[in-house]
Amino acid sequence: MSSVTSPLSSPLPAASKTSRWRTPAGVLGLLSALLIALMLLSASSGALHIPLTELPGLLFSASGPDETLWRSVLIDVRLPRVLFAALAGAALALSGAAMQALFRNPLAEPGLIGISAGGALGAVGAIVLGGGSFLVLAPSAFVGSLVATVAAYHLGRRYPGMAGLLLAGVAINAICGALVGLFTYLADDNQLRSLTFWNMGSLAGASWPLLAGLAPWTLVVGALIARDWRAMNALLLGEREALHLGFPLKAVRRRLILLTALLVGPLVAATGAIGFVGLVVPHLVRLALGADHRWLLPTSVVAGAIALTLADWLARIAVIPAELPIGIVTSLVGGPFFLWLLAQRRH
Amino acid sequence: MKQRLALLLAAVAAFFTLSVSAAPAAPQRVVALGGPLTEIVYALGAGNRLIGVDQSSTYPEAARALPKVGYYRAFSLEGVVALKPDLVLASDQAGPPQALEQLRRLGLRVIVLPSAPTLDALEQRMHGVAAALGLRNDGRAMVIELRKQVDALAARQVGPTRALLLINRSGNPEGAGFDTSADAMLRLAGYRNVLAKQKGYKPLSLEGIAALKPDLIVTSTASLAASGGLDALLARPGIATTPAAQQRRVIVMDDLLLLGYGPRLPQALRELKAAPAVASR
Amino acid sequence: MLLAENLFIERQGKLVLDDVSLSLSAGEVVGVLGANGAGKSTLLAMLAGELAPQRGRVSVDGTPLDRLDNAHLARQRAVLPQSPSLSFNLGVCEVVAMGAYPFPELSTFDVEQLMIRALALADVSHLAGRRYPQLSGGEAQRVQFARVLVQVLAARQSRGGRFLLLDEPTASLDPKHQQALLACARQLARDERIGVLVILHDVNLAAAWCDRLALLAQGKLVGCGDPASVLTPATLAAVYGVEAEVIPHPRDSNRPLVLFN
Repeated sequence: MSSVTSPLSSPLPAASKTSRWRTPAGVLGLLSALLIALMLLSASSGALHIPLTELPGLLFSASGPDETLWRSVLIDVRLPRVLFAALAGAALALSGAAMQALFRNPLAEPGLIGISAGGALGAVGAIVLGGGSFLVLAPSAFVGSLVATVAAYHLGRRYPGMAGLLLAGVAINAICGALVGLFTYLADDNQLRSLTFWNMGSLAGASWPLLAGLAPWTLVVGALIARDWRAMNALLLGEREALHLGFPLKAVRRRLILLTALLVGPLVAATGAIGFVGLVVPHLVRLALGADHRWLLPTSVVAGAIALTLADWLARIAVIPAELPIGIVTSLVGGPFFLWLLAQRRH
Repeated sequence: MKQRLALLLAAVAAFFTLSVSAAPAAPQRVVALGGPLTEIVYALGAGNRLIGVDQSSTYPEAARALPKVGYYRAFSLEGVVALKPDLVLASDQAGPPQALEQLRRLGLRVIVLPSAPTLDALEQRMHGVAAALGLRNDGRAMVIELRKQVDALAARQVGPTRALLLINRSGNPEGAGFDTSADAMLRLAGYRNVLAKQKGYKPLSLEGIAALKPDLIVTSTASLAASGGLDALLARPGIATTPAAQQRRVIVMDDLLLLGYGPRLPQALRELKAAPAVASR
Repeated sequence: MLLAENLFIERQGKLVLDDVSLSLSAGEVVGVLGANGAGKSTLLAMLAGELAPQRGRVSVDGTPLDRLDNAHLARQRAVLPQSPSLSFNLGVCEVVAMGAYPFPELSTFDVEQLMIRALALADVSHLAGRRYPQLSGGEAQRVQFARVLVQVLAARQSRGGRFLLLDEPTASLDPKHQQALLACARQLARDERIGVLVILHDVNLAAAWCDRLALLAQGKLVGCGDPASVLTPATLAAVYGVEAEVIPHPRDSNRPLVLFN
């Protein structure tokens, strides 16, 4: 609401007494610049040393064997991965923000309605029963997350409010978890190791064809979610209040849940389980900017992209020439950071 | 003097033949993804050509000093590329799935070798690694030697000893059923796996173990450490009452030697067959 | 006109509303009185279109509510529910501006003007820069009041009557702000031709500011009309189950003053 509260155009007092960059638009701009810088940094560093001065030229042409290698690593390995990290982080954070609004609870995340558990079940089923090639695994994980979410929604909608959905989600999560356990028990040694790696999450599957499919999808579904920012704000007031402000609650709820599953499902399928971003990023943004979704959603998108780009960069450079699973990095770096931030707020 | 000259000449000749036969094709910068593959490269005397390995390559000692590109199931694509190898030897379990394909697209030579725990697959691994390194003849010799030793060992029957193979990764010992390299190893050594009816590694039902009464327990060094040492393992209820525990008939072997199905297979079989009457600590 | 006809609803074998009819016209303030559990809030929820009656019907300017969609209804009536439960970190202006959500055609400038007016009417202009969770209970209540004022003021856009439904809006206010809020509601009713329905517990406050009073007891309407004719010892005994004495107000003899014994 910066235009509404801007001191120049109205006699209303400014919402924020702090300097200009602390306004939502300022923060969003600053974070966007940070994201671009971080993506450049990430694209320019990795196990293979490419001289910084060569980078711009490499985007267009390469001469000589060294440059040919640099160019193909830069274009075919790093760039899709950096873009994929940003895309996945943005989508995870956006879906987290939407779920937190829908459940009116800052601890909500997409996993609450079975998206992650269903995806894991689909993936594990594919690994144990279907041989586990990526072509089987990804669609199976996506279908798993969608089925789990739709089941949670349908089972839970008979109860008033969000409690039914929450309870159904808990039950679906438990069932999926048990089935994953069962599959794990049935798995042989090789399958077990594949499962472990799927559970730790990975962006190593990034490629241009994958991005070509996922990026437009994610942008469209993300935009559809963001369009409901007014409804999310109204939901913060309360479910009755949202109804009084003209939002058809059941339709909004059904739409947001389905869109979230459509947004996160394919990502979970492509990357495995990457935790923490969806839960914490919207929370951090809310601490900094407040809960107005007009700013919370776009800022979470950018901050989520930053978080995962940063995590991926760390994962790639921490133990060169090997790399760490990204799910470990997000939790290992994000967890303490979050705790530190909470401790700061106390004072 | 003459002798020395002859030796020198022979050496020079050998150097030339070697370099002539190997120079054009033989790769000199090799990355191996999979412990058994690394072992084969060393066994072929080509360890100096390795410039990088995965984290499962723990034998021989020299391999531990090489740059690590991650675990072979989740190796770092760019990490491999950065080492600028002219050959990548990969287990068919190496991944992530698209990464091998991407290595090829970047123009790297990638040889994928079977990882199955069978003698046949081991021979294919040896042939494959040797051929890729331009050491076809050495590979052939290695396989012939392997067969000879395994056949000789197979001839020495150990009797129908009932054996239990324990693996411990997480604090709770698991027993090896069929479809595991451990089971394949036991059978190759001529033992009867008491858990032959279950599939894969499964948490032990202690009561079941007691009922199955194994005469011999085989385990790996790392598993024994995770179980808290030999005495702690043998004192576990269910295991304590088995003939194996009471007579302390336990074989402990290095993990990669026991389960890797590498070129040290004959050595592994030998150690397995030398079932101790009473295990030392 | 917002019209409820013969509303009937039963929950778990208990009659919550039994044959209740009530009208709310433009420009009038109607107070709803009743003991706890008498069905006041249920009546308000039905008038708001939030809850459908099992029998009977509610209509706005002749159109039954079940034929109006939510978005449409929100352009004609605003509701202030009891004890709002916002715990998220929103600014006061952000909360108040939500009142304009049903009117996407309004420009930012229009919304600002409405907000300035609503903040002043609810006496919360000085809170505009604050965060909602930091407000006291009374301040929060007045901010929520400002939000529904924005909604009902913006509703001037739409054709037809405008209605403001308030569920115990004075519950956590001090006497000064109780008076101010009801004065504001009545002024709006007069100036803007808004129909205001307000649930109250303070009988004398209701008598002072409402044009008509509706008295509910166990789901039944036991009286409906101007305060002087409705507030009698008999109806008060039926509604609250306590003895009461009704005397003319010492300052305004047209107005009754209720003294509970």
